Amino acid sequence: MYLIEKENVMKIAEELAKNYELFGPVVDKGTGQVFFDRVNDSSEISLSAEIPAIPPKHVVFPQIERIMKYKYDRSAKKAEIEAILDNRSKAIFGIRPCDLTGLIVLDRFFLGQEFVDEIYREHRKRMFIVSQNCIAPFKQCFCVCTDSGPFADEGYDLNLTLLGDYYLVEAGSDKGKELVQRLGLKSADPSYAEMKKKANDKSISLFESIATDNKAWISRVMNRITTGFIKEDVWEYIGKQCFECGACTFVCPTCSCFNVEDHNRFDGTTDRLRTWDSCSFEGYTKMAGDHNPRHPVEDRRNKRFFCKLSYSQSKKYLRPGCVGCGRCQWVCPGDIGLPNVVTYIRREITE
Amino acid sequence: MDYKSGVCNFCGTGCGNYLRISDGKITGVYSSRNHPVSKGRLCVRGWHIHEWLMTDQRISSPMIKVDGSFKNVTYEEAVNFMMEKLSPYMGSSAKAIGFLGAPRWSNENNYLFMKLARSVFKTNNITLDSESGHRGSLNVLSKVTGFPAMTGSLEQIEKTKFIMVIGSDLTRINPIIGSEIHKAQMAGTKVVTLGSRKTQMAKLSNLHLQCRPGTLKLTIALIAKVAIEKGYMDKNSASSMAGFNDFASSLAAINMAEAIGSTGISLDDIDSVAKELCGSESAMAFWSTGISGADEDTVSYIANLFLIAGKVGKENCGLNSITGLANLQGGYDMGVAPDLLTGFQSYSDGAVRSKFEKAWQVQLPAEVGNDVYQLLENKNKDLKVLFVAEHDEGIVKYEKEIANLDFVVYFGSYDNPFVNHADVVFPIAALIEDDGTYTNTERRVQISQKRIQAFNGVLSVRELFSMIAAKSGVKWSYNSSEDVFKEIASLTPSYSGLSYDKLINSTGIQWPCNSEYPNGCKSFLLKSGTALSFAKVSGTFPAVNVSEAFPFLLIPGRGEYFWHQNNIMKKSYIPKREYNATLLVYPKGFIEINSEDAKKLQVREHWTVKISSDKGSMNVSVKISEDVKPGTAYVPYFIKEMITDFLLGHSDKSDMGLDATIPVRIERV
Ligand code: SF4
Ligand code: SF4
Ligand code: SF4
Repeated sequence: MYLIEKENVMKIAEELAKNYELFGPVVDKGTGQVFFDRVNDSSEISLSAEIPAIPPKHVVFPQIERIMKYKYDRSAKKAEIEAILDNRSKAIFGIRPCDLTGLIVLDRFFLGQEFVDEIYREHRKRMFIVSQNCIAPFKQCFCVCTDSGPFADEGYDLNLTLLGDYYLVEAGSDKGKELVQRLGLKSADPSYAEMKKKANDKSISLFESIATDNKAWISRVMNRITTGFIKEDVWEYIGKQCFECGACTFVCPTCSCFNVEDHNRFDGTTDRLRTWDSCSFEGYTKMAGDHNPRHPVEDRRNKRFFCKLSYSQSKKYLRPGCVGCGRCQWVCPGDIGLPNVVTYIRREITE
Repeated sequence: MDYKSGVCNFCGTGCGNYLRISDGKITGVYSSRNHPVSKGRLCVRGWHIHEWLMTDQRISSPMIKVDGSFKNVTYEEAVNFMMEKLSPYMGSSAKAIGFLGAPRWSNENNYLFMKLARSVFKTNNITLDSESGHRGSLNVLSKVTGFPAMTGSLEQIEKTKFIMVIGSDLTRINPIIGSEIHKAQMAGTKVVTLGSRKTQMAKLSNLHLQCRPGTLKLTIALIAKVAIEKGYMDKNSASSMAGFNDFASSLAAINMAEAIGSTGISLDDIDSVAKELCGSESAMAFWSTGISGADEDTVSYIANLFLIAGKVGKENCGLNSITGLANLQGGYDMGVAPDLLTGFQSYSDGAVRSKFEKAWQVQLPAEVGNDVYQLLENKNKDLKVLFVAEHDEGIVKYEKEIANLDFVVYFGSYDNPFVNHADVVFPIAALIEDDGTYTNTERRVQISQKRIQAFNGVLSVRELFSMIAAKSGVKWSYNSSEDVFKEIASLTPSYSGLSYDKLINSTGIQWPCNSEYPNGCKSFLLKSGTALSFAKVSGTFPAVNVSEAFPFLLIPGRGEYFWHQNNIMKKSYIPKREYNATLLVYPKGFIEINSEDAKKLQVREHWTVKISSDKGSMNVSVKISEDVKPGTAYVPYFIKEMITDFLLGHSDKSDMGLDATIPVRIERV
């Protein structure tokens, strides 16, 4: 444990910017919307900004990404193929615990199963992660229900907790320790561990008054979803509200559906692209032949909630797929963000 | 940070977005949480606008057609070629030349297109493409309220107490407006939908009046009739407005029992809607305009119904004509019409015309022009030359008539089927390659700024048109889109208070914005002195008779699937796949029939049936659906080769807008 003065905390970002492409929370001047994105200068980053509208997922899994390029020479009947891997070193500064947990879930999906996705691995390999604990939640948060916050316990190189005039700096890796030493941060005495615990408790206690948008008592519902004891008409009520926009997937820090497309370039070459996709889309789940499910929209919808909230899926991620960020709630043109769906199902249970 | 604010350019909702621009290239899109219309939402199209914007299927060089094939040339050469070919028509051009404008082009580009037509080529044959109904709505709204656009505001949907959605499935055509209505419903607003098919919007409503195909207008008339006869109406003001007696007596002439029978809706339902609408504190009507939208007569009935109910010009009320294309409203605002100048100013008004003559320093022809599609339809002999702006529909209407013209000029960014009809093709800068403003369905003027360099160095509309004007001896001196906008503001009373400065620092401003409304105007509110009046109605309702030979009423559904045949969707990945997903299951297209009818016809899901009408026949697959009632059938219009040919044979029906129906026979094959 180390300490850095509040006004000096950006020195960490500046130091990282020397060797890494830097990403962090940025407030758009025009509308006040917060993005987690690339910055040219660490001064663009605002550590105190609210939970960003876009999670850092796109840093390791871009919305649209060139993964290969090829050119076919008709006369010689030869194709030139070139794999494209993003080998830039990236530093993520100020990621919040929910999104950090999201990153861990993505790691388990892309790296932890039989197949290792080398495109993802390349993004992830040289990454430096500085997380920050939430000393107070925001309106949309429910990470306490999904065991992913408000404080982080794994996955970071450095973790920051604001305690009065100081940030408590914890190193989670050798890379992290090395940076702390390079910056010459002073160590924190053991009493800070107790202060940090109190800050965590305080943050949790603030959920009741601040985090009022979404409440999702997940555990009961997980049981129900896994066992399938949910009435057809509940799914129908949910399904008919889906506008099939894909937003819930795009904004989710743990959703990993993708699509591969070939893009013919004006210069005669072809780019192979990987793009975000969504299980809410008919075309994503369309089966070969004439298969036409009876309740197409409902079936696709409950798929998402199985993925986020069933035990079978949790085994893959070693935790529930939802990290309680609340983003799918405010982007949904229907009224079926995950927290609302949990409410609808709970309502049925209590009935 | 790489995210830059922008505006979605697909439908008329005008959602705010953020485009991600990295190292001069577009790499993504995200929703805008604080935008007053979209509030963090986008639909499937909006979430993939970057896929369209990054396409390489662009027109990369000016081309001229020599001996039937295209040859790449410079802009200079193309302009010279064009002016030479056009010289025989230049003097008498008023009749020989037509201009087809683009409802997705910015206000600035549409304004310059209109100015080029009038001041350089001296023609008033100017028409907005891809559009058949919006003008009808504007005529009615202007007549009834003096306000030639949607009178309400999308931001007020959540505040209104009663919503009536007529015909279209807004959840598909303008999904974020559909979403706003859905959220209002969840919060307690009463939502009533009217239409012959149970759409998603209908499923999300409190009450769906599923009338028989072809009786939508009649249903609206019946609600008005009951409102008057049962005394639910706003007695204080409606009955003293101009035109009330005519309207009331045309309603009185309807035989209630007979009419109820033909709509297939119960009198109780009609009565309860009439009562609730009149009794509600505020109410809004929504209908789609443009392709497959409501026709002028139906809009007149809607407007009159709301006058009767006393729901026009009041807080949180609105007669809301919803545009399906990004700048359809803006296109009309810019005077892309044979008889209009900007801001719905009448071309026939001498004072208005001389204001433009003075500003443009030209003499304008005194006569108004003709609708270009009408000229094509009538195979008008005088029309020889056509200028076309970005025709992004996959289907080219009047293909034969266009092929018979002497010369066709095309301006556009994207490669598409229309290009082949042209004799000269000019590539132009696309969205975000130039600054421009767009006016959404609720009159919100928003700016979309230049974010990337133009593809392959192509010119902006402004640069190209200035070059063409200069060739004809007219000097246009604009250095930027902002210069064009200043000129628009100076000539257009409803835009006079707008400027790029104001727009850049806002999420759009709703016109009128002028000395009377310095901050714009959210919705039309009655002030003392303004008078409302009833719209004239036909008093006639199409007879929709099935016969023994043709026992089914077929609804040709175009609006819902309109985006399928839209050329820009084909340049994306995910939306293209989604719009084609239905095709994978029904490669020949489908006809929706009720399970009861399927039983009678002894057909099952996916079996092929033959559909015949008095004009022709086609074979399609069966899709069994409870969304249509027994005796009615629905065919989406989106597969060019199959269904379109059959439906184009019935193009006379498209004038009937929402009430278009075709009596058919369905047989098992
Ligand atoms: S499901 Fe919704 S609330 Fe949960 S992590 Fe994903 S976006 Fe956040
Ligand atoms: S955000 Fe809502 S409407 Fe869109 S796909 Fe997800 S659940 Fe459906
Ligand atoms: S509703 Fe219209 S404006 Fe909004 S995202 Fe969809 S296409 Fe774009």
